[in-house]
Amino acid sequence: MRRSHLIAGIGLLALILYPVINPWQPYPQGVMLIAFLLAIQATSWNIISGYAGYISLGHSMFLGLGSYTAAIIALHTGVNPLWMAPLGGVTAVVIAIVFGSVVLRTRGHAFVIITIALLLSAQIVATNWDGLTNGSDGITLELPFWSSDFQNIPFYYAFLLLLVLTVLFSAWIARTKFGTGLIAIREDEGKAAAIGVNTTVFKILAYGASSFFIGVAGGVYAYYQTFLNPVGAFAILGSVLIVLSALLGGRGSLYGPVIGAFIVSLINEAATVYGGSTQSRVLILGLILVAVVLFLPAGLLPTVQAAWRKRHPVETEYTDQTGALSHQPVAIVRDRLPSASSGPAGSLSSAGSLSSAGSLSSAGSLSSAGPLSSSAPLSSAGPLSSSAPLLEVRGVTKRFGGLVAVDNADLTVERGSITALIGPNGSGKTTLFNLITGNMPLDSGTITFNGKRIDKLAPWTRGHLGLGRTFQVTRLFKDMTVLQNVVAPLPDGRLRTMFADAVSGAEAARARDLLGIVGLARFADQRAGDLSYGQQKLVELAQVLMLSPELILLDEPAGGVNPSLLGRLTGVIRELNQAGVTFLVVEHNIPLVLDLCDPVHVFARGTCIASGPPALIREDPVVLDAYLGDDWRPQDAHAQ
Amino acid sequence: MAQFVQALALGVLIGGIYALMAGGLTLIFGVLRIVNIAQGAFLILVATFTWWLWRATGLDPILASVITAPLMFGAGWVLYRYVVVRIRGQAASMSVLLTFGIALVIEGVLNIVTGNRFRSATPAYFEQSFRIGDILLPKAQVYGFLAAVVVLGGLYLVLTRTWAGRAIRATSQNPSAAALVGIGATATAALAFALGSASAGVGGSILSVLYPFFPASHYDWISRLLGIVVLGGMGSLPGALAGALILGLAETLTATYGSLQWSTLVFYLVIMAVLLVRPQGLFGARLREDAA
Repeated sequence: MRRSHLIAGIGLLALILYPVINPWQPYPQGVMLIAFLLAIQATSWNIISGYAGYISLGHSMFLGLGSYTAAIIALHTGVNPLWMAPLGGVTAVVIAIVFGSVVLRTRGHAFVIITIALLLSAQIVATNWDGLTNGSDGITLELPFWSSDFQNIPFYYAFLLLLVLTVLFSAWIARTKFGTGLIAIREDEGKAAAIGVNTTVFKILAYGASSFFIGVAGGVYAYYQTFLNPVGAFAILGSVLIVLSALLGGRGSLYGPVIGAFIVSLINEAATVYGGSTQSRVLILGLILVAVVLFLPAGLLPTVQAAWRKRHPVETEYTDQTGALSHQPVAIVRDRLPSASSGPAGSLSSAGSLSSAGSLSSAGSLSSAGPLSSSAPLSSAGPLSSSAPLLEVRGVTKRFGGLVAVDNADLTVERGSITALIGPNGSGKTTLFNLITGNMPLDSGTITFNGKRIDKLAPWTRGHLGLGRTFQVTRLFKDMTVLQNVVAPLPDGRLRTMFADAVSGAEAARARDLLGIVGLARFADQRAGDLSYGQQKLVELAQVLMLSPELILLDEPAGGVNPSLLGRLTGVIRELNQAGVTFLVVEHNIPLVLDLCDPVHVFARGTCIASGPPALIREDPVVLDAYLGDDWRPQDAHAQ
Repeated sequence: MAQFVQALALGVLIGGIYALMAGGLTLIFGVLRIVNIAQGAFLILVATFTWWLWRATGLDPILASVITAPLMFGAGWVLYRYVVVRIRGQAASMSVLLTFGIALVIEGVLNIVTGNRFRSATPAYFEQSFRIGDILLPKAQVYGFLAAVVVLGGLYLVLTRTWAGRAIRATSQNPSAAALVGIGATATAALAFALGSASAGVGGSILSVLYPFFPASHYDWISRLLGIVVLGGMGSLPGALAGALILGLAETLTATYGSLQWSTLVFYLVIMAVLLVRPQGLFGARLREDAA
């Protein structure tokens, strides 16, 4: 990365010096400044469509909006349009935020479609709102105020300056939590929401951020052209050039769109000069777009970088079983929990029950009998202590068409417990998880967390309140490093948090601590997708811990984890529990459940059919019938 | 009053034609999860071909869909098997970019081969109308509507009554389960893409009579069709029908009581209003995402 900054700096220096060295060449300067303009647009587009992965096919609209804003204000006030250009940026941002707020609330394809419609609508408005825009006759602006000796050199530098600002802006975004959140949205939007990323706000802000510099450049461009009309200002071919530039150079990379814009500008110029007509230009651009999508989908820069990395591999250690198995002393820094538990729900008594539950399940002993002797209250008997339950699910129902996945289910998770949820496949356990964490809306019922109704809240808000989860099939952001994955969660929804550095020193240290706890510290800089499945499960646990949750929902934590790593995992769970974290675990590994958890709830056909301490559950005939099977023998529980 | 009824009737006629065009789009999306940006270019391509056929042989443009639909079926099948299938399994955004590129290629080829000017097929009944009381219904609109209804009905029968249709619906609901019971994913996807393209074959032939077109018109058309699909709910066939009717009515009512220029804009405003209340569109359902 440092090398590419160096190359970019040298390139910038050459571009700054070019008009000084070669001042009497208006044609190449003209071609270059159009390339700068395209690079500004492609770099901006990259923020919403590269980082966040939401493709916009109508981004040239913002250029037209900026042009019209500057031109109209200049026409009515007599001020030079160049000074009004920033207002063009403001208009672009306002429009982007307004329409983004409508369209970006859902996932999926509505956005790309609306961007085309917006571009065409803008053209319709500009054509028909004669009073404001002078209709299809267009607006003619005054000529540049400087001596014609300077030719277009001032525009050259104006666009170059805007380009540098745009790239710096994009680089800054990539370095913040906001940028990490956008990439998280691109890779797995549901997962991003589960780790506290307010996906709606992130996407809307990204759309706004991707429009500002295009709007400003539009103002400058209007003055450069001294004339604008609806067809030219809102041309869809402009959008084609933007998309092609960013895609060819490398979507999602910092410099890729700039490189792509320079190449596409040259191709475009050559096609106009040698191709005979604009008609053939569309064909050439279309063919290139198809070819890039099919044969170079990552784009030039990332492909070259990947080839470079392949030739110059970084030394890595592929296995870290020793690290994973070494039981170094675990130091879990918990900075949020004390303040959270001294919240509304009677702090003293809850703290008392915490310590009592904790002391029973001693951290060091992995022997089975530990938690069985625990006297944690049965959920069916109602809360015995004065502290309210941490999580209460009441009468919750969820249907998928005719299938009732969760049927009027009740579930209580006591503060400080490791509660298990077992049951046959399709009994509604994971769906209940998804309802609790807000990944899907429930049909009826209530969910209360820490005394607060949460069933209508967005997933990220539930995350901010202290609810964390892992997934049945791990959902790490595969293209990020392990460390980036662990620091990706957002503890709250404040703007200050959003625009903080993506990896601050303190966070990196904490993330490394957490990775140390799960035994994967040495993998911090590896690509997450390269780790084994079991390792990814552990990274996901570290990721959840980053949020300092009060309650962690583990969806089949043992699935695909080898026995020795599993020992590590249960040890970590116990120690976290001792430190005050409550767990709700879905797991099919019955010996593990009976060993680790108390109480155990058994789900079948979408509802809870039995609850109690593991000793009772494993002998309950109802449970044997519904889940464990008649040939289940209690002694199997001690097999591990 | 007569004016209002006339506007309503025209709106329904146009809506039926829009429904056919958008139906193909939503079918492709439902099965392949691909937003086929090239659908508008397919329409213009077929319209141009129909116009040429009509000029060369005098064949009725709407009847020409008997030829254009099978041709587009084949073209769609080939396009899927040899081009679109290559990006299967990649991020959904890549399919948008690919079909956008295909649309540009078609536009570019049309530009070079046929020139950049407006065309419109004008058969003998082009300016005639049926008169029912005070209401005038242009014959071209009526014929176009009837053709669209017949094709939509046929499509419905294919989807509900044939094995291939059941395979398509099964794949659109759950691709992996469909594969498990022996439905070939690639063949089904190609079939859906081909059917969607064939509907553009009929739609394009109808378009050639009803609207003047030129190579770059495909942006207007794809924008309208996508608007219909978003309004109705992505991938929902009833949604596409409802969206198409709303667009038809919005256009004719705005053109009658306002001005023609603003009619498309009114439709976009309707979409925004609907999305404000129902982000997933009129008939859009949020699918279960945990067990995909």
